[in-house]
Amino acid sequence: MNKLLFSLVWLAPLFATGQTAPFKPVFTNMTEFGGLFGQVRYGTPFTESVDKRVNLTAQTFNGVQLRPRLAVGGTVGVDWYNTAMITPVCASVRYDISRPSPTRDTQKNLRIFTSLDTGWGFTWLNEDPSGYKTSGGWVVSPGIGFRIGKPTNTNFILSLSYKRQEANAEKPLSWNELAKHETRVYNRMAFRIGLAF
Amino acid sequence: MKPNLLPLCLLFVLSLTGCTDQCKETRTYRRYVPVTLSLREIREGVRTEEVRPLEKPGKIYTKGGYLFINELKEGIHLIDNRNPSAPRPVAFLRIPGNGDMAIRNNILYADSYMDLVAFDISNPAQPREVSRVQSVFPSGQFEGGSWSINPQSVMLSDQRVEYVTETIKTDCEGGGASQWVGCPNCDVVRFSSQSGSAAPIAASTAPNSNGTAGSMARFALYSDFLYTVGQTDMQLFNVQDAANPVAQARINLGWGIETIFPYKDKLFIGSQTGMHIYDNANPASPVRLSTFQHARVCDPVAVHDNIAYVTLRNGTQCGGFTNQLDVIDITSLTSPRLLRSYPMQNPHGLGIDFPNLFICEGEFGLKTFDARSALAVKQLQHLTSMHAYDVIPLTGTLLVIGRDGLYQFDYTNPGQLTQLSKIPVNRPY
Repeated sequence: MNKLLFSLVWLAPLFATGQTAPFKPVFTNMTEFGGLFGQVRYGTPFTESVDKRVNLTAQTFNGVQLRPRLAVGGTVGVDWYNTAMITPVCASVRYDISRPSPTRDTQKNLRIFTSLDTGWGFTWLNEDPSGYKTSGGWVVSPGIGFRIGKPTNTNFILSLSYKRQEANAEKPLSWNELAKHETRVYNRMAFRIGLAF
Repeated sequence: MKPNLLPLCLLFVLSLTGCTDQCKETRTYRRYVPVTLSLREIREGVRTEEVRPLEKPGKIYTKGGYLFINELKEGIHLIDNRNPSAPRPVAFLRIPGNGDMAIRNNILYADSYMDLVAFDISNPAQPREVSRVQSVFPSGQFEGGSWSINPQSVMLSDQRVEYVTETIKTDCEGGGASQWVGCPNCDVVRFSSQSGSAAPIAASTAPNSNGTAGSMARFALYSDFLYTVGQTDMQLFNVQDAANPVAQARINLGWGIETIFPYKDKLFIGSQTGMHIYDNANPASPVRLSTFQHARVCDPVAVHDNIAYVTLRNGTQCGGFTNQLDVIDITSLTSPRLLRSYPMQNPHGLGIDFPNLFICEGEFGLKTFDARSALAVKQLQHLTSMHAYDVIPLTGTLLVIGRDGLYQFDYTNPGQLTQLSKIPVNRPY
C-alpha cells in the first residue's frame, strides 16, 4: 500500500500536466566581475570640475530557476569604490526575454536575459580612515545581458546594467566645524563578464 | 516598440542621464566676524536679567543647592537646584565675555573679558557687583574666536561667532587625509565636571566654603587664593578678603593649558600635551613638580587619593587619534606612572565619587564605572540615548550636560541611574 502511495506522489505531477514533462526547479548561479563606469561633477559653480570614475565590481547570483525563463534568488557582491568598499546584498530576479534571432532557435546558444537586483549595500569590508565613518544604503540595479552557450551547459555571460548605490559618510571635523556629513549616490553603468550554470 | 526592446531603451536613457555620482557634503561651521568693543561698554554691560533658555551652556558650577550655568560669553544662569527633581531658574546674570566662575562663601568670581568681577550672591536672584580687578586678562578665546585688549585705545577686539550651514557638491572622495588645523580651541572650556579635588558643598566646618568645580575648570580656589589659568600662564588672586580679590603673581605654565584643579596641596594642570603637577605648599607661589606626558589630545582629569583618571580624546579641536581612559598612579608626584589604559569611544568630561567613576562619551552617551580597582575598572551602565559632554557627581545626584540639555540623575544605585530632571538647551545650530 505504501509503495503504491509513494508511486502516486511521484506520478502526480505527470497527471497534472498531461503528457508534458514538468519543469523541475534547479539551482542556478551567475558569477560575474567587471567595471563600474561613471563620472562625478563637483565643486562650486566657479571652480567646478568633472572627473571620470572606473571601479571594480564582482558579484555572484545564486537562486532557483523557477521557470524555464525565470530565476529568483539573492546576489552578494563587492564594489570597490575609491573611498568605500561596499558589499551589496540583494534580492534578485533573472528573466530571459528572447533570443536575438528566431532562425537560430535550434542552436539555442545565444539568449538575452534581464536582471533586477535591489537590496542594501553594507560596509562590512570597508576600512575607514580615523575620524571617518562610512555607512551603506539602498542599491538598485536593473540590467540586460547575453548568455552564450547551450542551456544545458555552463554559459559565458556578458551584461550591462545600471547601478544606483546610496551611501553616507561622517567626516572628521576641522577646528571650527561643528558637523560634517556627506551623502553619496553612486550612479554607474556596470559592464561585466562571467559564467552561469 | 517591441516589448523586448524596452529594457534596452531604458538602459540607454539611464546611461545618458544617470551615470554621474551625486555626492553632497553638508557642514556646519563657525564663522568669525571681527567686532570692536569699548571697555566701558563691557563694564557697564553687567546686569541681572530675566531667566532665559540655555543656548550655549559652558561651565556648570554648584554651591549651596544652587546651580550656576555659564552661557558662553554672555553670562551665568542662576538656578535653584535644592530640589534636583525640579530645578528652578531664578535669574540670568549678564556678564559680557564670561566663560568661567568660582564661588567662595557668598562671593561669585567671574571673568568678563579682561576683568575679574566679584559678585555678592547672598540673594541669588539679585546678584550684586562688589568689586572688579580691571584689565588683568590681556587676551582669551571663546569658541575658537580670539579677543585681545588694547590698553592704549581702551578698546577690545573680539570675534563674533556665527553658525553657517552649507552644502557643496563633492567628488565622493571623502575618505582622504584629515585636515587638522591646529588645536586653538582645545582650551575653551565648555563644561566643568567634578574631580575628587572639589571641596564638598556642605563644608560648613571649613572657614571658607567653596563651590564645586571640576576637572575642566580654569578657575580654582585654594587657601586664600584664586587660581585662573590662561593659555600659557596662571594668574593668582589673593581672596583673603573674599569680596575684594587682589591680583598677585602671574606664573608661566607653557603652551596649551586647558584646566586646573587643586587636590590636597597640589595643583593639577591639564594641557594639550600632558598633565602638570605643581606643589602648592606655598599657595602664593606654586612650584612645578613633574609632568605626565601624553599624546596631543584633549584631556580632562579627575583625581582620587593617589590615582588620577585622565580621559584622552580625539576629534574637533583636539587633534590626536587617541580615545582612552588613562589611570595614573600619582603616589610619587615627581614621577607619575601609568597603571593602565582603557579604550573609550570619545571620552569628554569625567567625574569621580569614589568608587563611582562617570565618563561622558560625547555622542556615545554616558558610562558609569566601578573604579574600586585601578587595574580593573568595571563598566556598570552605559546610557546611549543621550549626548553627554560632562558630569558633576554630587553626593547622590549626577549632573550631566549634553548637547540637548542638562540632566540630573540619582546615582544611589550607580548601575541603574534614575533620571530626576532635565533642563533643555536650545542650541543656535
